[in-house]
Amino acid sequence: MPPQLDYRGDKMDGIRVGKRIIGADSPVIVGWENIGRVEGGPVKQFIFTWFQPTVLFAAILFWYYAPNSIAKASTAIGIGIGFKLLLLSLEWVNPRYDSWRLTWKELVTDLFYVGLGYTVLRIVDSYIGSSVMVEAIQHLFHWDKFAWFTSLPLLVQAFLISFIFDFGQYWMHRGMHNWYPLWLPHSVHHYITQMNINKGAVGNPVELFLIGLGIGGFFDFVPRAFLLAGAIGMSVGSYMHINVRFNTPRWWRFLFNTTEHHSVHHSRDYEASRSNFAGTYIFIDRIFGTCVDGEAELLGMEGGRRMSIREQMTYPFTEAWKTLKEKFARPGAMVVPAE
Amino acid sequence: MRLIDWIWHIRGSVALAPGQSSDDAFGKLEPLFRQPNTSFERSNDTLVFQKKDQAAQDKMSIFDDGTLRIERGTSGAVLRYHLTSRALLACFLAPLLFLGIAQFTVMLGQHQAKTEHASDKSAEAKKDKDKKIVPLNPIDRFLGAPAPEKPDKKDADKGGKRDKKPSPTPAYVFAAIFAALYVGGRILEDRLIKSHFTRRLRGSRSTMTREPALPPVGGRAA
Repeated sequence: MPPQLDYRGDKMDGIRVGKRIIGADSPVIVGWENIGRVEGGPVKQFIFTWFQPTVLFAAILFWYYAPNSIAKASTAIGIGIGFKLLLLSLEWVNPRYDSWRLTWKELVTDLFYVGLGYTVLRIVDSYIGSSVMVEAIQHLFHWDKFAWFTSLPLLVQAFLISFIFDFGQYWMHRGMHNWYPLWLPHSVHHYITQMNINKGAVGNPVELFLIGLGIGGFFDFVPRAFLLAGAIGMSVGSYMHINVRFNTPRWWRFLFNTTEHHSVHHSRDYEASRSNFAGTYIFIDRIFGTCVDGEAELLGMEGGRRMSIREQMTYPFTEAWKTLKEKFARPGAMVVPAE
Repeated sequence: MRLIDWIWHIRGSVALAPGQSSDDAFGKLEPLFRQPNTSFERSNDTLVFQKKDQAAQDKMSIFDDGTLRIERGTSGAVLRYHLTSRALLACFLAPLLFLGIAQFTVMLGQHQAKTEHASDKSAEAKKDKDKKIVPLNPIDRFLGAPAPEKPDKKDADKGGKRDKKPSPTPAYVFAAIFAALYVGGRILEDRLIKSHFTRRLRGSRSTMTREPALPPVGGRAA
């Protein structure tokens, strides 16, 4: 039985995790033993217990042994789309919360952002993305790619590719929650009020560009290692924003980010939202003391106000303008506190 | 305007039960309008509502405003509704946006091709040709992973730029997806709202539960 948080008006008692009180602003379930389990018969239990590890190991085996004629980026894109459709059907069959059910409007909104990611952002990335920046730096300093890793076993290379990216993403994400100029573009992503498979794409394009930056381009890896890294990313990272109840294995949730972790990050509770910054490897949060194991149902900002696409596009800029105006307001116009 | 406003306007009617008063009918429908960011005004036979920043799980989340009117005729009373949806309009226009993006991508590709043609391709091609093939790690060889292929001569001749040219295909695909979503949504949401109204009007007022309301939580901007 999950501990019932004592709700007293605007403030709750919350639960101490390390030096922080989690759940003082909004309900958050803390601790794996308190999280709900898959309900239903043995077949359903079996499927939703073993689905995630099976997909991960099957994907690794496929990309490790696939002949060169199949091991191509186009195959990866096809598998990725098929996997997303499968996960959408799982959301329908076994939702984590009914209050996160995908509606037509949510699907259309999410796909709009996915569409922007596949089109406009790709074009922008091809001109000023991290690979272009890395190439420019290499050219400037006459550096070649660091070819230290190409002789390592494929799986080690694949892990390094995804880990280097995720480590960078952890600090970028943590920076976004701690530095106001970076928070502004990221803040709109926190206005999502429910988790669904495509919610990871929802956000201001400036933020989506920033979160996609990485330093992996400085290093050389063999092409198959990139495909394996992509498979790991797909088989682990896809669950971050999903509305499916899994009996996630203990070892998995110790190593990898899960929808439980990420729902805590998206919680309306301020302290909880400043946890679980990694994208794939939650052990990075464990190392730096920012991990909170648990889950939350009530998500969003401003008490769960759903932000329109139009506002998501303009909010960082209008807020920045407001802040600048306040900062540089004429001193005479400022209210002076009474002594 | 009427010829095209079906794109984002949904009109329909539901017959009221014999003898059902306007007060009773609107009383049963009211929970649909007692939602966050929704305001409504009710007079004798008319209910007018407006919504902003609709909650995701609001049963009428796609609608921004509308009017519900009860009309009495010889065959009985009928609830007629006229609802407008910016979400439907945006979804209808989204394919045009993505077709525009596709055209822009094509133009960008043409411009890029011209620039590349003018520049020296041979250096890039040479770079690709000179690229060494890294042998597999002994562990991978033992486990039977396929060895990497030599770079394709044709690719090298193209200057290794084949993958860098922006492709309009994703934009075309998304234009088609949104066209399909519009057709699906226009039919689905029309049916859904009619079934919500019908179910509520037929249901007993005393047993009808309120829409689940979220607890009042003090949001705090991070």
